[in-house]
Amino acid sequence: MFSLYKKEVQSYFFSPFAYVISALFLLVFSLSFIRGISTMDSNVLKFSFSEIFYNNFFYFIFMIPLLTMRTFAEERQAKTETIWLSAPITIWQVVLAKYLAVVTVFAVMLLLTLVFPLIAFIKGSVVVSSLICGYAGFFLWGLVCIAVGMLTSALTDSPILAAVFGEGAMLIVVFLDRFTETALIQSMPAVAKVFQWFSTQSRFAGFSQGLFSLGDLVFFLTLSAVVLIWTIIIIEKRRWSRG
Amino acid sequence: MGKGHFNRMVEIKNLTKYYGLHPAVKDISFTVGDREVLGFLGPNGAGKSTTMNMITGCLPSTDGTVTVDGFDIAKDPMEVKKRIGYLPEIPPVYPEMRVRDYLNFAAGLKRVPRKDRKKQVDDAMERLHITDMQKRVIGHLSKGYRQRVGFAMALLGSPKFLILDEPTVGLDPTQVMEVRRLIQELSLDHTIIFSTHILAEVAAVCQRVVIINKGTIRAEDTIAHLEESVAGVPMLKMKIEGEMSKVTNILNSIDGVLGIDEVAFDSPGVNIFTVKVKNDNVRKPLVSTLVGQDCMVLEITSTKPSLEEAFVKLTQTGTTSREAAFEELGKKMEAERQAEEKAGKQKEAD
Repeated sequence: MFSLYKKEVQSYFFSPFAYVISALFLLVFSLSFIRGISTMDSNVLKFSFSEIFYNNFFYFIFMIPLLTMRTFAEERQAKTETIWLSAPITIWQVVLAKYLAVVTVFAVMLLLTLVFPLIAFIKGSVVVSSLICGYAGFFLWGLVCIAVGMLTSALTDSPILAAVFGEGAMLIVVFLDRFTETALIQSMPAVAKVFQWFSTQSRFAGFSQGLFSLGDLVFFLTLSAVVLIWTIIIIEKRRWSRG
Repeated sequence: MGKGHFNRMVEIKNLTKYYGLHPAVKDISFTVGDREVLGFLGPNGAGKSTTMNMITGCLPSTDGTVTVDGFDIAKDPMEVKKRIGYLPEIPPVYPEMRVRDYLNFAAGLKRVPRKDRKKQVDDAMERLHITDMQKRVIGHLSKGYRQRVGFAMALLGSPKFLILDEPTVGLDPTQVMEVRRLIQELSLDHTIIFSTHILAEVAAVCQRVVIINKGTIRAEDTIAHLEESVAGVPMLKMKIEGEMSKVTNILNSIDGVLGIDEVAFDSPGVNIFTVKVKNDNVRKPLVSTLVGQDCMVLEITSTKPSLEEAFVKLTQTGTTSREAAFEELGKKMEAERQAEEKAGKQKEAD
């Protein structure tokens, strides 16, 4: 399993792929950082990293499918999946190895953004506890999105389609809350309640305000696990109809 | 079946695969002995790859069992997969990786202990003559080299059992020869199943053949028997100067001539006759009689058709398609086998 993980991480960093996406991510992050500084109120002289995280997530969420689109779709297209299907390794080990590889890339991207708090720290002061919570929330939300991205990649054998499906799924993940708030859903409290179970934004909001809740942590981790299990099932199911 | 002293390495029983309602493989059973090379022969789309995918555990079967070295693929897939080296039709290589990195990765995937990896990868590259290519990116390699990298991958983890799906497709003749030599070399300490749709290939390296078409086994026999059944009758090709009807009469009148297979025009007054004969001894009376009656024999060649020629002939004449030819071949072999069995029983009765 470790070999597969290592190979996956290498394939991200040995191709321009991870670099281009990281660069794009940093560009977006720095733009919102600059905006944060330039719109600072001259009396209070303070801006919130949580807000930057929050805004960034809406951009970032559309980059995740680009990271995950190749995981299974490309392997199926190039028929390279036979190498791990015929090796003494189970499907769940494959899925986990690939997942951890994408998570590693994601973590590296997050680490790169530490440069902004660092600048803020040199020129002013940073509330460290709030910052850590913000990063934790961002990371956890990312975990769920990566799992969803891999799920869409397992559904098709075209990476492009996987990315498109992924974007659609991300839209659902992000805008589920807004959808729940509409009058139509609110008029049906039972339905609204179900939607609220899966609402990720409110939980992320908690983190970004510096509130670390065990319940939310468990929520993000279990949701990722469920989506990954779903991915395993889909791959197993598709294995039956391979040529 | 096969040679009695072999232990059964692989046992396939009633293997069946349906895609929806369409059966891709129907009720296939055969066994492969230890260190045996089995040719898996059939036209494209016969179900060869499907069967191989099921043996390697890539594809679950609808029904039936595959047992490798005593382990059932459905119950102990890990144990079976450890014992199998699989080279699929399209080698599963990652184009962005370098040859050595790829093989190292594959060795890890096959659970080769870390300390043995370097040696195994070196050995595999040595065997396939790709040591010079180890630093190259696979995507930049030619088809032949990619195939070799895939082959090297199949050898990692020292599996006892190799499954090679059309290992020579797309290779140039020298490479084909090399692969055949390699299979022969590997057969000393491996059990091998390899699929092909080229008959000559089977003749070159296999002891036994399973012929499959439309998802079912048409024949299963040794090469010697196969050769006898399809290429049993020796032929003479004669270029003869003389009136065609006269020559035909003479040919037919000679004892030992079984019939005239084909007459082709060569030049005015000269025709090429392909004659089925009992054996090569007919040549002498044939030529002397013809010459005695003023028909000049300009050329004479004895052709005992090779397996491939017979096969090609079988696919071109009489039947319209390659598939039908396979079917015919299978029927022929089956009939022969039954006749043999009958003869054996009679002997026993006597």
